[in-house]
This record gives sequence, structure tokens and C-alpha cells, in this order.
Amino acid sequence: MSIKVIGANKRYGDFAALDDVSIDIPDGQLTSLLGPSGSGKSTLLRAIAGLDTLDSGTVIINDTDVSKKSPQKRDIGFVFQHYAAFKHLTVRENIAFGLKIRKRPKKEVDAKVDQLLEVVGLTVFQKRFPAQLSGGQRQRMALARALAVDPKVLLLDEPFGALDAKVRDDLRRWLRRLHDEVHVTTVLVTHDQQEALDVSDRIAVLNKGRIEQVGTPDDLYDRPANEFVASFLGSTVRLNGELVRPHDIRIGRTPEMASPTTDPNLDVGIIRATVQRVVNLGFETRVELVSASTGEEFAAQITRGDQNALNLQPGETVYARATKVAALDGV
Amino acid sequence: MKVSRLTRYGLRTVALVYLFVLLIVPVGTIFYRSFEHGIVQFWEWITTPAAISALQLSLLIVVIVVPLNVIFGVITALALARGRFPGKGLLQAVVDLPFAVSPVVAGVALILLWGYGGWFGGIESLGFRIIFGFPGLVLATLFVTLPFVAREVEPVLREIGTEQEEAAATLGASSWQVFWRVTLPAIRWGLTYGIVLTVARALGEYGAVTMVSSNFPGVSQTLTLLVNSRYTDDYNEFGAYAAATLLMFVAILVLVAMSLIERRAKSRLAEASESTSGEVEIVEPELTPPHGPESVDAKQIVHSHAHPKEGE
Repeated sequence: MSIKVIGANKRYGDFAALDDVSIDIPDGQLTSLLGPSGSGKSTLLRAIAGLDTLDSGTVIINDTDVSKKSPQKRDIGFVFQHYAAFKHLTVRENIAFGLKIRKRPKKEVDAKVDQLLEVVGLTVFQKRFPAQLSGGQRQRMALARALAVDPKVLLLDEPFGALDAKVRDDLRRWLRRLHDEVHVTTVLVTHDQQEALDVSDRIAVLNKGRIEQVGTPDDLYDRPANEFVASFLGSTVRLNGELVRPHDIRIGRTPEMASPTTDPNLDVGIIRATVQRVVNLGFETRVELVSASTGEEFAAQITRGDQNALNLQPGETVYARATKVAALDGV
Repeated sequence: MKVSRLTRYGLRTVALVYLFVLLIVPVGTIFYRSFEHGIVQFWEWITTPAAISALQLSLLIVVIVVPLNVIFGVITALALARGRFPGKGLLQAVVDLPFAVSPVVAGVALILLWGYGGWFGGIESLGFRIIFGFPGLVLATLFVTLPFVAREVEPVLREIGTEQEEAAATLGASSWQVFWRVTLPAIRWGLTYGIVLTVARALGEYGAVTMVSSNFPGVSQTLTLLVNSRYTDDYNEFGAYAAATLLMFVAILVLVAMSLIERRAKSRLAEASESTSGEVEIVEPELTPPHGPESVDAKQIVHSHAHPKEGE
């Protein structure tokens, strides 16, 4: 059940939330809409759901133009950041809501709800009210509620944004496994690049109401179309004017140590720099450096093992060299 | 914050004395005077034809006013909380008008409008009496109780937001279903409180009602008007006390009924938490992915569930 958006525009006064956006979301894949707040990613998702109306543009779900249809008629499942749980209904009643609206026979509803309760691991909590659940449990309930009506597409609006880091990690891994089993076309809105890289088949990066690039996580990370995409999907630094990821910088105490590669294409030169600060961040170490020639500040990421071997100290002079340059597409 | 013992007891005493003098003493006095001559005397005073018809009239007004104000109030609250339309600021102000305008002024306005020679006074010549009749009482009561439901429901609507309603819509619920299944349950406490206030005010309204009432016992004399009439016109002090006590009983009855409904709903919630909190050792099962889309086929499941039952 593919989704197609063609020429979507949405303005709020002077602010263009969506500026002529077109995107193809292929059947059965998990696509993330990634971007900073105000980039239009949520507006795009809500337009697909029919919760927001577009000023102009077309939304096609499963080869049917649904632009004029209400959300009720679009066969979608929608999950909200703040769960949107029906507070006056129990977990079980929440999940059964869509089926009861559709007046399905009671047996069918019961069977389906039992199955979904098991899938989301809430069978023992089925008689509770949403207020008696944790955030992660509430979101799992919301997911089950959305899946109960067998939607053609599943739309998730920052579903893990309100949860703490540990629960968020667990849930997104679980979501990925769920998707691998169910294969319902899924669109996930997120501002968290880690989350997008972790769960997505494809990522669309949005900025200021426009789509900057669409591709697989590796495409976007290794071959970003522009500087925005490069910097949004991970940190970047400038080394002799080239955009480099900090983990692609090699550091040594002598110029030779810093240049073990022989690829002449990657010759951005060796930079003499002074160590300002060394920060151990678990398995990696961030070395903050100042270029001796230009005075530019930049940071390099090396492994903890390298740092243990090098034992860099603030004030030391080292040599840095990029082993890989972020190849901007079309540059 | 730690408060010194003296301040603590001092504050409590002030609050209690204040409540006692302003609330308990007057109400207690009325109770005392009502039953001063025994319960039989009290019963006689509240079962006179005038008292019975006044009670009926008051209740009839409540029965008409409450549904009208609920419908109007909920629609107004929805418009104020959700709508975006020109003149919204004006509507905000108009809804509060009955709070700002003295009820007596409201009564006068109604007479000017519906009375003899008024804009709509022509209706009277058709033999349909508004002012000094039952319709006038209803109109006056509607006017003074108009803001209660709208003003109680509106903040609740703002607080719950639109996400639950949007979720219901994506699940296939029509606007009507969204309202009955999601919006109404969510605003029910605000609505309940609005109704309680409306009932209390409708029973107790004097200023606006007295202007448009002929005050004939059995025709357009409400229970509140009866209390006043017995006291000031008939010099029937104990009759007035008895009627006042009856009025309070009705109001208290409404309060009790409402809090019973509330308690029932809350105990439903408590039950749900007890049934699970009793089993402390519930360990959340590991999240397991489902087994493919085929298990989503509901017919299969219904089938497998149906079979063992047939065997029994």
C-alpha cells in the first residue's frame, strides 16, 4: 500500500510549513520523516492522515486519491506523541475502539484484542485505565489500538518522543521487529537521527518545509546531498574547508602516524593542531583541537583504545588528517 | 513548608469561625425554627396546596432549563474552545453577561421585550401569556443560568485538547460517534458541575423571577417566591422557614445524587487498579513481535475459538 504525495503546500500565515513537497513512500517499508522542529515533517504526516488539510497538493494512498477524504475514510492507523489514550476506557476497550465503531461481531473483536494485547505485552494490564500505565505501556496500547483495524498504512508522529531514553531504545527496536513481521507500510516522524538510522528502510530529510533528500540510511550518511543533510545525520567538522565526520579523522603524534592511507583522492593535507580538551564518552573519545595554521576549532572522535594507546593530553601538538570526506552529492 | 503550631491552629480557628458564623449558624437557625413546633407542623406547612404547587413549579422549571442549558452550554463551550470564527470575542463576553447583569435588570428587560407593548408583546394578544405566566419564569431562569454549563465545560475542553478526538477519527469514528464516545465522557465532570450549579441557581433564583411572576400561588409562584411571600406578605414566619427547609432539601438531594454518580464512576476506576495492584508480582512479559500478517486474519481466530465451545 504505497503512499504518494504530490506538490503539497501548506502555509500558516507567512510561514510555509510545506513548500511544494512530493514524496513516494513504497509499499511495506518503514520510512522516516526526519527533520528539526518546524521542518514540516509532522504537517506532512498529518496531511497524509487527513488530520490537516493541504492548501494544495494530492495525497494518494494505495493508488486512490484521498486528498478530499476525511481521516475516517483513509484506512490509516495513527499514533500520537502524547498517546491520545481514551482516558475513560480501559486498555482493552481502547484497543477494541476501532473494531466496535466498525460493528464487528463480539467474538471477532475479543479474539483480535486478545491477540493484540499479547503482541504489545499488555495482557495483564487489560483492565487498567491509561492513567495507571507507564508512558511506554500507553504508547504500546496506542499502537495496538491503531493496528486493530488493519490499517493500510501506519503513521507514527514522534511516537517515542515523550519517553525516557531506555524505554525509547527498547520500543524502537521492538517496533522494527514488529514491522519486519507485519510489513504494514509505516511512516515515522522523528527529530532523532539515531532513531531514524536505527529503524528505517528509507529516510526523508526535511528542512524548512522542503525535502532535502530521500534515501536509505547509508545513502544519506555516506552520500549526503548537501551540508544540511550531512550535519543533521551526524556531527561534521570542517578540515581545510572539507566536510568531514569527526570519526573519519586520524590523529598521530608525527605526520607519518597520521597518514597511513595512500589514497591520493582523499588528500586534504595534514593539519598540525593543538589538543584543547580530551573527553571520554564511554566507548569513544572526543578530542577537541585547534588548527595551528588557521586557528579553526574542530573535534575528532577516536576510539577509547586509541586514546589509551596515544594518551593525548591537553596542550600537546598533534597531526590530524581526514581519512574520508563526506562526498556531497552533486558537488 | 513548616508552619509554627500557633499559626497553624490560628488559621484553622479563623477559617472555622468564619464558616460557622456565615454558613452554619444561618442554615442551622432555619432548620431549628422549621422544626420548632414539631415535625407534624412542619409537614403541614409544606403540604399546603400552595407549597405543593410551588414545589412542582420549581421542579418543572429545573426540568426544562437544565436540558436546554446543557445543549446550549456544550455547543457554546465547543465553539469557544475549538472554533475560530469572527465575533468569538463578542460571544465570550455575551456568555458572561448574565453574571454581570443584575437579575432584576434581566427581569425588567424581559418585561420590556415580552410584556404588554413590548417588541414581542403581540404574542400576548394571541392569548399566549409570557410575562406573569410560566413561560416568563422559564425565560428568566434560562437567562440567569445560561453561563454555568458553558463556563464549566469550556476549560475542560481546552485541557483535553483535540488529540483524543483525532485518534477516534483515524479509527473510523464519525463526528457524532466522536462526540458521544470520546468528547462527552471526557467533559463529564465539568458538565456535572455545571448542571449542579444550574439546578441550584434555578431553584434559588429570586430577582429575575420575581419581576416576571404574578406571584399567584399555584400559577406562577416558585418555591423561592413562596418563601418570600409567606414571610413578607402573610407574616407566616414558620411557614416560610418550612418552605425554605424544603428548598434546601431539594438542593441537597441534587448534590447527593450528583456525588453518588461521581463516586460510582470513581469506584469503577479504583476497582480496576485494585484488581491489578493486588497482584504485585506481575512481571511485564518480554515484548514479542507478532507472528506475521496471517495471524491478523480474524476469521481464523474466531474459528479456533468457536470450536472448543461447540465441543463442550
